[in-house]
Amino acid sequence: MQFKNAMMTPLLAVMAVAVGFPLLYSFWLGFTSYQLVSGGVTDFVGLDNYIRVLTDREYWVSMSATASYVMLSVAFELIIGLTIALALQSQKWFKNFTRSFLLAPMFITPIAVGLMFRFFLNDQLGAIPHYLDQVGLSYDFFGAGRALITLAFIDVWQWTPFMVLLLLAGLESIPKQPLEAARVDGANRFYIFRRVTLPMLSPILIVAILLRGLDALKVFEYVYATTRGGPGIETKTIQYLTYQTGISYFRLSEASAMAFILLVIVMGVIVLLFRRLERVNIR
Amino acid sequence: MSFTTTARRLLAGFAALSLGAVALAGCAPATTEAGTGNIDPATTSGTVRILMEDVPDTDIVMSLLPAFNEVYADVDVQIEKLPYDQMKDKLVASFQSPEPAYDLIVIDNSWVNDFVAAGFIQPMDAQIDAVADYDAGDFFSSLTEITKVDGVRYGVPFYNYALGYIYNTDMVSEDQVPTSLDELVTLSASLTEPDRAGLAMQPQTGYKIMEEWTNFLYSAGGSIYGADGKANLNTPEAKAALEAYIELYNNSAPKNSLNWAFDDAFRSVSSGGAAAMVSYNWNLAALNQPDSGPYAGKFKLAVMPGGKSALGSWTWALPVNSAAPDAAWAFTAWLTSKEVDVQRVILGGAAIRESSMTDPAVLSEGFGADYYAAVTEILANAAPLTQGLMGDEMITAVGEALNAAVSGTMSVDDALAQANEAINTIQSR
Repeated sequence: MQFKNAMMTPLLAVMAVAVGFPLLYSFWLGFTSYQLVSGGVTDFVGLDNYIRVLTDREYWVSMSATASYVMLSVAFELIIGLTIALALQSQKWFKNFTRSFLLAPMFITPIAVGLMFRFFLNDQLGAIPHYLDQVGLSYDFFGAGRALITLAFIDVWQWTPFMVLLLLAGLESIPKQPLEAARVDGANRFYIFRRVTLPMLSPILIVAILLRGLDALKVFEYVYATTRGGPGIETKTIQYLTYQTGISYFRLSEASAMAFILLVIVMGVIVLLFRRLERVNIR
Repeated sequence: MSFTTTARRLLAGFAALSLGAVALAGCAPATTEAGTGNIDPATTSGTVRILMEDVPDTDIVMSLLPAFNEVYADVDVQIEKLPYDQMKDKLVASFQSPEPAYDLIVIDNSWVNDFVAAGFIQPMDAQIDAVADYDAGDFFSSLTEITKVDGVRYGVPFYNYALGYIYNTDMVSEDQVPTSLDELVTLSASLTEPDRAGLAMQPQTGYKIMEEWTNFLYSAGGSIYGADGKANLNTPEAKAALEAYIELYNNSAPKNSLNWAFDDAFRSVSSGGAAAMVSYNWNLAALNQPDSGPYAGKFKLAVMPGGKSALGSWTWALPVNSAAPDAAWAFTAWLTSKEVDVQRVILGGAAIRESSMTDPAVLSEGFGADYYAAVTEILANAAPLTQGLMGDEMITAVGEALNAAVSGTMSVDDALAQANEAINTIQSR
C-alpha cells in the first residue's frame, strides 16, 4: 500500500465508526419492526415502514410545512443578508463593532431563541403585542396560517447574520478591476450590481443558500418551544414528526424510514445545486 | 498489501462489527430483580437512585429525606430531577442498558401499560400486601386503578393531577361557580372584559388541549372510550363539548392564546388577566402562595361542572433491573405510609390517600378544609385520558384534531371523526 493511502486509514476507521455505523444501523432499522418498548422483539418487515411513511398524509403535510419554512426563511435571509452585507461593505467607521453586534443572535442556542420569542410574542406578556395594542392592532402570531410564518421569521432573526458573514466575505473577495471597468464604461450602480457583482458572487450565493437551507431543514427547537406543531399540525416540521415518532412514540424503525426518505430528497437537491455551481465555475 | 485489499478488509471488519452491534442491540438484557420484600429498617440497606420530574412535589419528597434516614439510616436516596419532556426518553434509554440506571422510578399514567408490556417494571402486589398497616385500600381508587394492568398492581400512587375549576374570588363569587357546561360558557362570557378574560385556557395542540377538553367532554356526559373499549368521540356529547370549548376560546379566553399551555394560563390567572381556569387541583396552593401575585390568597377550587374530571397520576414503580429493590420499596412504602403522607400533604404535596384529606393536622395546617373537600370530590369521580397501549400517541393525535377545530381549519365534525379514527388506528397497531 502506498504511504499516502495508508495515511488515510485512521480517518477511514474513525469515519466508519462515527458516521458509517450509525448510518448503516439506522438504515437497517428502517427494514425492521424495532421499537424501544418492544422488549427486544424485532422482525424484518421489508419495505413496510417505507410504504407506511410514503402513504402517510401527515408525513407529506410535514414535508410541505418544512419546505415552505425553508424557502421562506432562506429567501428573506438572502435578501436581508445581501442588503446588510452591501451596506457593511461600504461602512467606514465602527466596522468591527457593527459586525460583532450583528452576529450576536447566532451565538444564542436555538431553544433559548424559541422560548424568548414565545414570551416576546405572548399577548399578555410580550412587548410586540403590547406595542401593536397601543396602535389598536391585534395579531395572533401563532394562529392558523400565521404560525409557520412566525417560525420562519424567528429563523430569519437568528440566522441572517450568518448569511451576512458569508456574503460579506464573498463581496470583499471580488476583484476590483471588473467593477472599475464597468464604472469607467459609464454603468450605473444598479447595473454594476446586477451585471457584475451578482454574477461574480453567485458561487458564494449558492453555497450560502445550500448551507442555510440544510440548516433550516433541521428546524426543531423553535417548533418545540413555541407551537408544538400547531395549530393542528400546521407547523409540524419533518424533524419534529421524526422526533415524535422515534423518540416520543418509540417507533424507531418508522422514524428511520422517515429520515432516509428525507435524506434521499435532500441529496437530490444538493446534487442539483452542485451541478449548478460547477456550471457557474466553468463560466 | 494493496490499498484495495486494505479497504476490503476494513469494510469486511466494519460489516462484521455492524452485524454484531445489530444482533446485540436486539437483546439488551433487563434482568428481573424482584427483591425479598424485606423492609426491616435494621437490615435494609443500599443506594436508591430515583428519576423524578422537576416539580414542587419532588422538592417536597426531597425535603422529607432526612426524616426517612432517621428510620432507615443505611439507605442512601439519590434523586435526579428532569423536566417532564425528557423523562420518558431517559427512562426508556435506561432500560436498554444492561446496567441498571435507576432503582426506583415515577411514571405518568399514560406510560403504565407501555412499560408493563415492554417488561420494564415489575408487579408489586406481593410487596404491597406484605407491609403491615400499609392500608393500600386508603388510596383513592381512581389512582390505584391507574397502577393496575390486568388486575395486577405495578406501583403505588405518588401524586395526582386531576383537574378542577380554579377561580379568583374577587371576580367570581361562590354561588356563581358553574355546575354545567352551559353555565361555564355563560359565566365566562359575562366575566370577560377588555382587560380580563373569563377563562384562561390551554388550547395548545396535542396533550394540552386534550387534557383540558376532556373535562368538557365529561361535563357534557361523553367519554373517550365506549363500553367496548373502542373510540367514542364521534358522538353528540363530544360535539357539544367541542362546540362549547370553541365558543369559550372565541369569546372568553385571552386574545391570541391558541398556542397557550398550562403555564401561560397559570400566569394569566395569577396576574389577574383571567378570572378562572381549568387546571390541576394543586395549582391552588401555588396560586395562593403569598408571593405568587396580586391576588394571592384569593383563589378557590371547585369540581368541574358536571362533577367529573380528567385525571392524571404519577405512580411509584420498581424497574425490573433495579439494583436495590428492597431499599427502593422501603423508601416508597415509608413515603406513602399514612403518617408520612400527612406530612407530605401539609407541605403542599398532591393528594393520594383519602385519610389525609380529613386528617386534623392537614385541615389545620394545610390549605383549608374546603380545598381538601373539593379535592376529595374531584378524585372520587375522575377518569384518565387514555387506556391501553400507546397512550401518549393517542392523546397527541386527538389533541391535534381538536386544536385544528379550535383554530378554524377543520370543522367540529371532521375533527371528531379524525380523532375517533386516530384512536382506532392506534389501537389496531
